[in-house]
Amino acid sequence: MCASPLAFLRAGPPPPRVVILPDAVFFSRSIEVPPAATEAEVVSQVGLALEALSPFPLAHLYYGYYRPPGAGRALAFASYRRRFTAEQVAHWANAEHVMPAFAAILACGAGPATTVVLAAAEGLTAVHWDRDPVPSAVLFHPLLPDAKDEERAQARDALIKAAGEAKSVIDAPSPPVAQPGGGEGEVVFRAGGLTSGLSRDAVAAIDIRDKADLAALARARRRDLLLWRGATGAVAACALFAVAELALVGAGLWQSARNTKVAAQKPTVAHVMDEKELADRIDDLSTKRLLPLEMLSIVSPETAEPKSPPSIQFLRATTSALNTIQIEAQTNNAGEIAGYKSALEQAPACERVEIRDQRTHDNLVTFTLIVTFRPGALMPASS
Amino acid sequence: MIRSLRAFFLACHLREKLLLTGLAVGVAAIWLSSLAARTGRFVHSARITAATLSEQRLWLSRRPSIEASAQSAASRLDAVRTLDTTRLLAEVAAIAGESGLRSTTSGEARDVSSGQFSVHTLQFSVAKVDWGTLKDFYLALSKRSPYIGIEQFSIQVDRANPSLLSANFQISSVEIARN
Repeated sequence: MCASPLAFLRAGPPPPRVVILPDAVFFSRSIEVPPAATEAEVVSQVGLALEALSPFPLAHLYYGYYRPPGAGRALAFASYRRRFTAEQVAHWANAEHVMPAFAAILACGAGPATTVVLAAAEGLTAVHWDRDPVPSAVLFHPLLPDAKDEERAQARDALIKAAGEAKSVIDAPSPPVAQPGGGEGEVVFRAGGLTSGLSRDAVAAIDIRDKADLAALARARRRDLLLWRGATGAVAACALFAVAELALVGAGLWQSARNTKVAAQKPTVAHVMDEKELADRIDDLSTKRLLPLEMLSIVSPETAEPKSPPSIQFLRATTSALNTIQIEAQTNNAGEIAGYKSALEQAPACERVEIRDQRTHDNLVTFTLIVTFRPGALMPASS
Repeated sequence: MIRSLRAFFLACHLREKLLLTGLAVGVAAIWLSSLAARTGRFVHSARITAATLSEQRLWLSRRPSIEASAQSAASRLDAVRTLDTTRLLAEVAAIAGESGLRSTTSGEARDVSSGQFSVHTLQFSVAKVDWGTLKDFYLALSKRSPYIGIEQFSIQVDRANPSLLSANFQISSVEIARN
């Protein structure tokens, strides 16, 4: 990374790592293919053509081809594997693409009857387009490193002549170099004034490495893209969380203001609640009297109608509400409890009668009687 | 910028990519967990506050009617005959004495006041009393209603002598401040 992160970010992405191989070690041929042929059919035809052209089996060759979609021709090119050292091949593992120099300028948009002459230290390469977007011929003329200009000019003329009839000739005085900032779907090369934008699919077909290695590289690229998407997704989520944090801080301030309002209103509300309780109690004292002895008189076994046997004795009585009394009682005759309960249920003042917690001890049955009286049924005793 | 970062990321070794992705995902997961917990607490607290505010609004809106209701309840009472704590205790003790109750105890009176109105509450107990005497006390107390009221009552048979009773009264009185 650059010394300054901002400079690094402003610089944009670096150019793709492309290994450009010398044209001298490649032979090429244009192959006619049906324009509607699928990619697999083109690959098959390229393989057959190279096997027919080469004295070596396909497995001994590094090869690739160039065919834009729908083109009626494919340019196949190959090189004998032993022309590359093991060190060179090992170096390719770090590269995104490996191709001959002439392949880099195949998408330069040359018109019909155009010849592009590529200059390199080891010689000149002529790429000739007759009518198709795919070149009809690629020719190489070796030159010594100390070749004079006259020799170069002679070689150039010879190449142009051999390549085919050309209405225009474009010279590329420097070898192609991958450019930074190519779009997501293409790799851009520049050779002198020539610019060639190869699509990712075209570059994949041009790459001369083992097809199995290329498939593994493609898998690794897909995995890397997944990791990248995972990382960017997580970073985006963090950005979203940062926004949510700010929202939470804002909401906290709003909540704090509301809490302050609650605290400010609390004494007033407590006062109103006290007033309400007092009002209710004053009203209850004035209008709703608790009449415990009147309740006891109604439920007493001696006064209940119809009369119940007096074996039931009250032990304790408590008023639990304005119209309810809870009585703990005992009897030595458990059979009388049911009769007593039904007698109370028939009493006009009683709304509900419950018997709970019946227990037996030494022939004595204890139970709890809960009687709820009808509102207004109890009248204050006068004497 | 994104493309520069993407190119930098893709140029890293696999272990570096895994580490960077793991770190980013880990930080996001921890942050999400923390944020979710705090958001949950905030939402809970906001709901409670909203409910409290709503309840407070309700009480405050009912304030005039509550005050009117208290005034209306108090208007049924003669301010002169209402009892403060001291007079309540004295009155109950006098009634108990007149009814023939001997063994009585009273707790400390509790007061609830809203300024103009007060309610005084007194726990009053009688022990070892026969039914007739207790009834006399009760009837005498009832005659002072609504200035003296019984709010709670419990009675139980004396274990040693079933003909005697013990009773607890929670007795209240209203006091209206005389201006």
